[in-house]
Amino acid sequence: MQIFDRCRACLAQLAIALVLVTTLPMGLATAGLVSTDDVIVETFGPGEDRARVTAFLAREDVQAQFAALGVDPAEAAARVAALSDDEIAAIAGQLDQVPAGEGFLATTAIILGVILLVLVITDVAGITNVFTFIK
Amino acid sequence: MIRHLPNRCRTTGPALLDRLRPGLAGLAFLVLAACTTVPGLPPSDDPRLAELPQAGAVEAVPFFAQADFYCGPAALAMTLAWSGLEVTQDDLVPVVYTPGRQGTLQSDILAGARRFERLALAVDTLPDLLAEVAAGHPVLVFQNLGLRSFPQWHYAVVTGYDRDARTVRLHSGRSENLTTALSTFARTWARGGNWAVVVLPPDRLPATADERAVLEAASALERAGAPAAAAAGYTAILGRWPTSLPGWIGLGNAAYAEGDHARAIAAFRAATEVHPTAAAAWQNLAFVLDEAGDTAAAVEARARAAALGVEAPSPADAP
Repeated sequence: MQIFDRCRACLAQLAIALVLVTTLPMGLATAGLVSTDDVIVETFGPGEDRARVTAFLAREDVQAQFAALGVDPAEAAARVAALSDDEIAAIAGQLDQVPAGEGFLATTAIILGVILLVLVITDVAGITNVFTFIK
Repeated sequence: MIRHLPNRCRTTGPALLDRLRPGLAGLAFLVLAACTTVPGLPPSDDPRLAELPQAGAVEAVPFFAQADFYCGPAALAMTLAWSGLEVTQDDLVPVVYTPGRQGTLQSDILAGARRFERLALAVDTLPDLLAEVAAGHPVLVFQNLGLRSFPQWHYAVVTGYDRDARTVRLHSGRSENLTTALSTFARTWARGGNWAVVVLPPDRLPATADERAVLEAASALERAGAPAAAAAGYTAILGRWPTSLPGWIGLGNAAYAEGDHARAIAAFRAATEVHPTAAAAWQNLAFVLDEAGDTAAAVEARARAAALGVEAPSPADAP
């Protein structure tokens, strides 16, 4: 019973937080002040025209994706906070697909051999730049 | 020149192939003829390149040889260190490396730069990229060094170029100031989606970005919880675009976030003087005046906002 009570308190807090979060006006960095982002949009028109409400919800989504990809949850929150609505909208739902500077992903030795040869050829032609010893 | 190991996010490649080069050149021609289409001019032949100084170089860009998979942390560390911060590749691994992808996403680079209180601005054409280098700014670039269907994504830092020699100079992987053919760089960069950023101290504006782009970069600093850096950015923006409404509002908002009511009021007041019909300027002015206890002035500012059809909230209404 005690445990149930404690859970109930947690749930109540969660519900309050949820209501607060979902009813707050979007894009306000500081309550009561018109945000700089809003004035930028007022002055120059909508940017890449993605719904700000969507971005607001997408933030949590992206944060969860980062965590699923092995990023520490607090770190994931900090990364998401530093991105604009447009930047969030651009990567939401795609964190496992957007290109990541990483390196060569070897699938099998055979494919690698073939690809290697093609890359050498295209390197020589100056289309790619995989091998530094080929100028 | 010292010949390094192949120097990418992950090392690959035997040195033997070097010798096969002459014979392969002919084969390359056949491959090319068979599978490439080149619409219009290659990016390295953009006529706007002719308007740039003959050569550009950014000296004193610290070099960090990357560890496997860490081209992102290494590239960002180099630009941050150039901008005056004491950081190393290792400091940046938790900030920009995503373990599940064994790499660094472009959004990680942007967020990472901002969290170190730097303006991060996109550059997406070759002439703009080289113009930044000519202006003394290293440019962090995203390349696909491989093929479209078999990508090898990579981050590097452009530190110089020479239009006569048609080369660019890069801090890339394990090579410091690696010289690469401009045409090859242009292709690998285009294949990475023409994605590049300049990472600057917040009081220093890029040579090429427009007003909106720098405003958004400064506003991103507000969002990242770096209001002092954002304020420095807005001050620089107002130096170049003195009548920028978002510039004045941003300066006020950043000062407010720093807890400096006097500076916020001064900035919002300046905004109302430059743009007397901007309701947002009166609204924010009224709000901060109220909080600062200057009720009479707040009432007046609120009346001006109301005359423009906007009801300004007072701190008492705030949640």
